[in-house]
Amino acid sequence: MIDNLYQWTDKRLNISGGSRKLLNKIFPDHWSFMLGEIALYSFVVLVATGIFLTLYFVPSQHEIVYHGPYLPLDGQRVSEAYASTIRLSFQVRAGLLMRQMHHWAANIFVGSIVVHMCRVFFTGGFRRPREFNWIIGVNLLILAIFNGFLGYSLPDDLVSGTGIRIAFSILESLPLVGSYLAVWLFGGNFPGTAIIPRFFIIHVLILPAIIAGLIGAHLFLLVKQKHTQFKGSGATEENVVGAPMYPNFIAKTQGFLFLVTAVTALLAAVVQINPIWQYGPYKPYKVSYAVQPDWYMGWLDGALRVMPSWEIVFPGHMIPNAFFPGILLPGLTFTILMLWPIIEARITKDDVEHHILEEPRNNPLRTAFGAAVLAFYFVLFGASATDVLANYLSVSLNTVLVTFRVLVIAVPLVVFPITYKICVELQHQHRPSKTKRHNIVVRSPEGGYSTIEVKPRPGDERTHLPPIPVDAMVLVGPRTAQAADGASPTNGTDGGRVRGIFKIPRTYR
Amino acid sequence: MPDHLNPATEGSSGAGGEASEDRPKGTVMPAEMIEVSIDAPQFQVAAANPERVEHGIAVMFMIGLLGFMGFGASYWQNYSNFWLGITLGVGFFGLGVGMVAWGKYLMPRGPFSEARHSAAPTPEEQQAFLTDFTSRGKVAIERRGFLLKLLGAAGGVFTIVAAFPLLRSLGPLPQKLFYRTGWKKHSYLVTFEGRRVHEDDLVKGGVLTVFPPDDIGGALSQTILIRLEDASYGDVVTAPGRKTWGPKGYLAFSKVCTHAGCPVALWQKALDELLCPCHQSIFKVGPGHPADAVFGPAPRPLPQLPLYIDKQGYLRAQAPYNEPVGPGFWERGAD
Amino acid sequence: MGLRLLRKILVPFAAIVVAASMATLLMGRSHVASPTSTPSPSQFSLTAAGSASRKAQLQTGYQLFQVHCSFCHGTRADGSTGIAPNLQGLGPGVVQLWLRTGWMPLKTPGAQPDNKPPAFNDTQIREIALWVASLKKGGVPFPPKLHLNKANVAQGFSLFTLNCAPCHTITGAGDALADGYHAPPLKAVTRHEVYEAVRSGPQNMPQFGPKNITPAQLRDIIKYVVKYIKHPVSPGGISLGGVGPVAEGFVGLFIGVGGCLLAAYWVGDRTERGSEEDQGSGEGPAGEREASHA
Repeated sequence: MIDNLYQWTDKRLNISGGSRKLLNKIFPDHWSFMLGEIALYSFVVLVATGIFLTLYFVPSQHEIVYHGPYLPLDGQRVSEAYASTIRLSFQVRAGLLMRQMHHWAANIFVGSIVVHMCRVFFTGGFRRPREFNWIIGVNLLILAIFNGFLGYSLPDDLVSGTGIRIAFSILESLPLVGSYLAVWLFGGNFPGTAIIPRFFIIHVLILPAIIAGLIGAHLFLLVKQKHTQFKGSGATEENVVGAPMYPNFIAKTQGFLFLVTAVTALLAAVVQINPIWQYGPYKPYKVSYAVQPDWYMGWLDGALRVMPSWEIVFPGHMIPNAFFPGILLPGLTFTILMLWPIIEARITKDDVEHHILEEPRNNPLRTAFGAAVLAFYFVLFGASATDVLANYLSVSLNTVLVTFRVLVIAVPLVVFPITYKICVELQHQHRPSKTKRHNIVVRSPEGGYSTIEVKPRPGDERTHLPPIPVDAMVLVGPRTAQAADGASPTNGTDGGRVRGIFKIPRTYR
Repeated sequence: MPDHLNPATEGSSGAGGEASEDRPKGTVMPAEMIEVSIDAPQFQVAAANPERVEHGIAVMFMIGLLGFMGFGASYWQNYSNFWLGITLGVGFFGLGVGMVAWGKYLMPRGPFSEARHSAAPTPEEQQAFLTDFTSRGKVAIERRGFLLKLLGAAGGVFTIVAAFPLLRSLGPLPQKLFYRTGWKKHSYLVTFEGRRVHEDDLVKGGVLTVFPPDDIGGALSQTILIRLEDASYGDVVTAPGRKTWGPKGYLAFSKVCTHAGCPVALWQKALDELLCPCHQSIFKVGPGHPADAVFGPAPRPLPQLPLYIDKQGYLRAQAPYNEPVGPGFWERGAD
Repeated sequence: MGLRLLRKILVPFAAIVVAASMATLLMGRSHVASPTSTPSPSQFSLTAAGSASRKAQLQTGYQLFQVHCSFCHGTRADGSTGIAPNLQGLGPGVVQLWLRTGWMPLKTPGAQPDNKPPAFNDTQIREIALWVASLKKGGVPFPPKLHLNKANVAQGFSLFTLNCAPCHTITGAGDALADGYHAPPLKAVTRHEVYEAVRSGPQNMPQFGPKNITPAQLRDIIKYVVKYIKHPVSPGGISLGGVGPVAEGFVGLFIGVGGCLLAAYWVGDRTERGSEEDQGSGEGPAGEREASHA
């Protein structure tokens, strides 16, 4: 049956012709190359759980009186968006699980993008010819952050509503067009009744579609340009060394999808996230203390806090305070991030293709710069919790804030030279091969000790196996299966032909 | 298939052999051959003991199966979020571990390699493309430059025109939206329940969120009414020119932070300070202090609402706010 | 005004207070021994029911006050010593709140006293409060019997959000205020403490009179606090201390992304790269190759 289906389809679409190459596609399998996959698979989880959520969520700010099992809300006037999210959490079966998985997956999505990006940055994976993929990646990060913000704004609860208010103020602070953009986006002055429906359609349709498209482009370029690799194990600038797409990579990556899903589900089972029933519905005149956005917006919130109270005022016009940390900072951040491959190439005058990754220690300047920049944003993230920190440390809030104003400048300045020094030191370090050798220590009857070196077991010499051109795998495919079964001796004659030795063109090496 | 299995046979594999000597130019140069044994460790499975691994994977798949069955049962029985999540997680965990182990230990361990070519085209490729592109273009397009310009103009106008409904339909013009609150001359101060605020309502050190009667709950109209703790219930003068604005220890300020618009709701009565919960701006109030922004990012003081107490003892506004409330915006300009 | 003064005084004189508790133990006896120098508690008996037990209560309260409180607050609780505020007229509720929370007697210097185990048992606290209240009428009374059965918890939640959440946070976790003060957590408060605190406004907390928050509304708030702030509904699992996205972010990054990283570490290849045995001239620029192509 399947054979018939295959024949029928193949005659029309010629799958066989195009796909054979794909089956042989080699993926370097260093574990740090799987970080992007975490992002990809958490996106899959996001889409799957998100579809579930859209079936129950009502994107409306129309006020209704809530009646339901949660008594502190029973009889309160809330928006339909809020009421439906409460219903989703308390009454829809598995609704809370889906909500929490969705939210945790969002945290993991952005987090893994950042980690993945760090890997690419510190190993120089963005260099020619991969600048486009880096730029696509930065755009994915921006969109992921945006969509995360929109997503946690949708329930229209007290905490997220305050975030929307701040977003309005930041938009409003844009010179020249700010007032127009803010009023148009919100369909009037804050809060209006249009923002939740609009955020909804952007969150569930527009941005996911763009993100999915960019992910497609990202992967297409990855396949087209082939993955970078670390040197060693026979990896050179002219080959790709790793596991073939089929069957190794498919099996592993499919398993990895399940593992990422498992982490998300277990987290959603054990740790509660965003309990909006405890927060209550949003009213513009109500507020809770200790309101922070999700962590990936935390650096912006921190920037808003540490910014001194400056405003540029001139007759008739002003550039409000929130513009600098709220628009200028992220604008500069993402512009520089996006252009980094070009900036670096300008500085280093490096215009050749690189497929072998650098180790961070071997490019101390870039590593130190990256670490300092990361430290800057990490301090800003910390600054988004000044009040919580002050409370836990029993220090004055004012002291904590002033401290962060200093730290945000000082920490990067300290991190840069330290990282640089560490890199240089590491370069000079002798690095013995980590391959383990099995030795047996025996004691002689006289009491002396001697060591017997054991022949490496299969697997010990893993590092040093030279890569075999993937075409050879195709040739011995069926044999391998037999070998795995341990059923028949593989060497010998079969049909009168000598088997066992293949000649492979050396070009592949 | 037998042919495939025996690449050593001359010319059988398209990739190698002496046959490639007469390949067309421009492809990979003929290669010298290397020998690969079918017994090479790269073709063997990674596991030292495949059977054990196989059993392990079977166990993991069973765990996955049980997990999903558990999820089904939890769903059917409407168990708590914990059991739903744990069973689902365990299900995926078992499946995931099993699949990865399968790929990692029971498949040819490699490493395998694949050739890589420069991402850039060869000069010949590029030249050929450019030749094709320009030669056809010259005839068909470039000689009709006028048409091209007209097409461009039409497309450009469409782009601009399309932006109007895309943007302008979204909402009204801002005009004076940010300047207007619901406060009018003689507005009563009412609570969120609509109750008028009387001069006896607040004890010293008290605080209340108030609105004008026709904009209850309004985001920009919200006003924080405080009664100073130390006041001798006389008029509180926060700034010169505001002599009568704070009768009997009452002071009213816009509750919208001048930084990012959060409700400045934290009244620390012993310090006479208002604190914004979002970014911790501190506003000092009291005699001589018209909610000055003394700490944090807020650049401007909170606008003060001038109050008076009418004959029945109700608190009322002398006038609306004399400046736009809330965060700054481009058109606001210097006062 | 009294409490504000109290705060101003506590900071510089915190050290004295520590000494005071020692000193009163030594000197206090003389106060008690010579009641003629101070007014007898019975003179200030407020209630008509001047029963023997009432008198005994006032007597004990008087004695406890003289031993433990009078050094700072003065023997007549009028703040005449100049180091601590006048307590007359604040009402028994205030005294009870400050003693039951362990805020008083002040042991450690600091801007704001912290919760600690009370120095007196409930009976003693009541006796001291009664005696202080007997000096002058008014102020915050003892909490009445709070019948919460009929209280509207939804109304309470709404009012809590408007009036309490700005400082104590919406989950009652508490948070830091300006200038070293903090809004304490509400996870362990009793219904009486809520009543007394709302009505009296200790330190920086605003004071909410019965016309601002009516007795019925206060009962609603109390019901919400003792039912839902102390025992939040958390069907989703561990609630991470109710501090919201900051804690959630850490969990998401370290456990969520961290867990996935661990998985990746297992799934992927971990061989050491670039060891000296590897001869691959990996960093050879591609330019050479391009040249060789040409």
